[in-house]
Amino acid sequence: MKERILQTLKDLRKYALDKGYEVTLFYHEEDSYLMRFANSSISLNTNEHLIRLDITAYSGSKRASYELITDLGKLDEMKRGIDTAAEMVLHAQPLTYQPTVPVFAKSFADESGYDAALAQISNEERLKYFNTAAAGLETGAIQLSGIFSCGMNVIAQINTRSEHTQYFKTSDAQVTTVLAHSTLKWEVIAEQSARKLSDLDPSALREELAFLVQHYQTDTPQQIPLGSYDIVFGSAATAEMLGFMNWIAFNGGSVKRGFSFLSEDKVGKKVFSDKFTLVDDPDRLETFPFKSDFTGITRQLFPLFQKGVFQGFTWFQDDADEFGAKATGHTVGHKSLVLNGGEQKDINSLPDLVNLPRQKDILYIPFLHYMNIVNPSKGILTGSSRFGALLLKKDGSVAIPYNVRLTQSLLDIFGDKVAWLSQATVPYNTSQSYGARNPTAIIVPKFLCVNDLDISLSNSSY
Amino acid sequence: MLDKIKQQIERLKGLGATYVDTRWYPFEEGNYLMMWNGNLKSTTSARESGVGIRVLYKGAWGFSASSDLSDLAALYDKAFDNARVAAERVTFPVRLAEKDAIQAKFESPCTIDPFTVPLADKVAFLKDLDEQLNQAGVFQRVCDMTFVRKQIVFVDSEGSEIEKLITEAFSTMQVSGLDDQGVTYERSFRPARQGNSRGWETLDRKLFGENAARIVKEMNQVRAADECPKEDRSVILLPNIMYLQTHETIGHALELDRILGYELAYAGGSFVTLEDFGKLRYGSSKLTARADATLPNSPGSFGFDDDGVPAQNTVLIDKGILVGAITGRQMVEEANAKAKRQIFKGSGGANRATSFYRVPIERMTNINIDAGQDGTLDDIVKNTERGIVLDSERSWSIGSNREQFHFGTEIGWLVEDGKITKVVKNPTYKGATVKFWNSLSAVGDQSTWQVKYVDNCGKGQPNQVMQLGHGVPVCRFDNVRIGE
Repeated sequence: MKERILQTLKDLRKYALDKGYEVTLFYHEEDSYLMRFANSSISLNTNEHLIRLDITAYSGSKRASYELITDLGKLDEMKRGIDTAAEMVLHAQPLTYQPTVPVFAKSFADESGYDAALAQISNEERLKYFNTAAAGLETGAIQLSGIFSCGMNVIAQINTRSEHTQYFKTSDAQVTTVLAHSTLKWEVIAEQSARKLSDLDPSALREELAFLVQHYQTDTPQQIPLGSYDIVFGSAATAEMLGFMNWIAFNGGSVKRGFSFLSEDKVGKKVFSDKFTLVDDPDRLETFPFKSDFTGITRQLFPLFQKGVFQGFTWFQDDADEFGAKATGHTVGHKSLVLNGGEQKDINSLPDLVNLPRQKDILYIPFLHYMNIVNPSKGILTGSSRFGALLLKKDGSVAIPYNVRLTQSLLDIFGDKVAWLSQATVPYNTSQSYGARNPTAIIVPKFLCVNDLDISLSNSSY
Repeated sequence: MLDKIKQQIERLKGLGATYVDTRWYPFEEGNYLMMWNGNLKSTTSARESGVGIRVLYKGAWGFSASSDLSDLAALYDKAFDNARVAAERVTFPVRLAEKDAIQAKFESPCTIDPFTVPLADKVAFLKDLDEQLNQAGVFQRVCDMTFVRKQIVFVDSEGSEIEKLITEAFSTMQVSGLDDQGVTYERSFRPARQGNSRGWETLDRKLFGENAARIVKEMNQVRAADECPKEDRSVILLPNIMYLQTHETIGHALELDRILGYELAYAGGSFVTLEDFGKLRYGSSKLTARADATLPNSPGSFGFDDDGVPAQNTVLIDKGILVGAITGRQMVEEANAKAKRQIFKGSGGANRATSFYRVPIERMTNINIDAGQDGTLDDIVKNTERGIVLDSERSWSIGSNREQFHFGTEIGWLVEDGKITKVVKNPTYKGATVKFWNSLSAVGDQSTWQVKYVDNCGKGQPNQVMQLGHGVPVCRFDNVRIGE
């Protein structure tokens, strides 16, 4: 299949060259499967096989794109797409900068992220996984929801400047298991990310779910007072906040456009806690990394924050072209963010956290729902707790807090109020399926404790 | 192609499928242009075609989709096999509410097909707009336009055959500037739907030009303004934020699949329960809300949904009392069965999918608030002792059961003793949904009513976005916390 894809791209390149066009051709193929659970049933079992071809035509500093969903048997349709893009670019407006059309010095292929066993996991195996993860935990009132999303995707590209190609093939799985009480409306969650079949461990999910369900069935739910709390964020919440930093923190284009809470004079300055070290590391396979970016730059470890000191901005090619910066190898579908674990080696699991001796109440927030940016220049986000929050009281008992809202700046959350990070880290899968399959995961500490954060709203029920 | 589809549907019925439908998209075209600070950053056209197949077998759904139609039988077999496996875990077998078999066509009203408009004209429109936005104080300026045209052929095993041609045109613009601390403030314009159609003709150059000047002026006012105070006030929501308030805390809360727990793994649930219908005082007696899929100029109108059910106008909240929901064939049956009473008399015709490769789920149509009797915006302001007028969302975040919310807006104008006094920056407001809607104390008249569109409502797994609309008046809510 790889050879057929690359040969098709070469044929299309020749077609474009023969016509005197300058184009880039970006091919994406996905074979996606999703088994969705709701109310303890499989509410939907679905698959789609899609091939997308993005054609960008250039003429001087003008650029225009034509995208089609097609298949490899439709060469004529793809050629017509090239003609269309070439016609469109004549009517585009010149950019104020010269957009780069990369020249690939050599061909690149990476299938290290592909595990056939995972990509071809059967319907029956997916169902068995879920049955194991929820075994014995469902009742008439406590019902299972979730997804088992898996598949494979291929990215390939070529352009008229060079005969060399790029080729990436990845498989992935994202599993979410939710147990929710149908009348009381509480919800708990356990999630897993997999890049190979052996990463799947339904027993581990069951253990987490069982622990949370036991607490949610026995501990007292309560509305917690507004005010300041020491908060332990779970991996989902931490990953969500870091994901937003892609847009409002270290993205060079965002800074130039006024949508970042960082600025050029912050490079080399301490912005966050000295416990906070965040890197982009394409050697971390759990993040579904790109080892080469789409302009042919070999990707390497890129420090973003070292012990809280801001190291520098990332620039993808088009922004670098526009603002006269140097591209940093971040013209990719996603980065490979890793927030290093900390010194807290005794907290590796929820039971460890619950058993932690404490002098004051600690609010555990595993997940932040519907997070949004209130003020990008100040790094202020807002979101609500969801999915298994716990109030760990100073007397050692555990209560169940109704959901709360936090509206805070990332500068405060990851600043000097950071108390500790767990040594243990975990890849948290942040994939979405709004567009083409693009598996992403961020490696984060399992737990991150921040002192004295205010909650601004506290529900009076679930 | 239609004959082949029908053959496959019959074949699967023969294998034991209770129901089969197919959405064939002979084409879906898209066109997106975006100009940022004078640079035409995006000039994109797109085309896709394919087939999505839904199979109901032993009470469970299977779905399969592809753009490769060379082996249609294999595609149908995949959908069937997906349903067969899903049927191994069924707690409440899917049943579909009755509907008539329909053979029909629907075309959304469009005077000028945007895909016949030369690219050069579209670029010229944006260039003109960009120049008008390039004023003192403007740090960033963005304007864009999106066009969609799609043909959908729906065939099902119940004898329905429906062909739809949908055309949409959307355009927005935004400016941002920096205050003396280097903090960015934005001001944007998303036009209300004009006239009765949805094509290129809806892009009104004059309207955009007038509003270009206005948003630049207002953005400069916000940059220099004081911070929004942190206190309780009446909030007067203009349509450009009222639509989102409606969307997030009425629309999503009343999607029946959410109420029944089908979105718990992702988008969330709802605080509404089946027992609430006919009883819950959702809002004050000034609140009447409806799901109206018959509004001609709005993207929430589509003729027939993706279950083959005709578009309808359904009351959701009647003078404050919850009476209806956003429904499709499957969920009304399940809701009535679980409630052990007939809450819903049939499907509300609200099932839609964003594309051939996504499965239909319950989506908002046009979720509207009826105009009221409390006059114009000026009238409402004059009758407000201590308030704030708010416009245009900047941020929004809602609790997982839609029970509470936090909104930030681009601009606020304080009101003291019936008069607008000054602009404030960083206005935010938050509240608990039911308490908020019960604090609705004034609803503007028809002169304040505007139809706003949403082109990116996200939901479902696999994820999908949907286009829809909201017809909303100016509304005032009392004792709302602002500024936090």
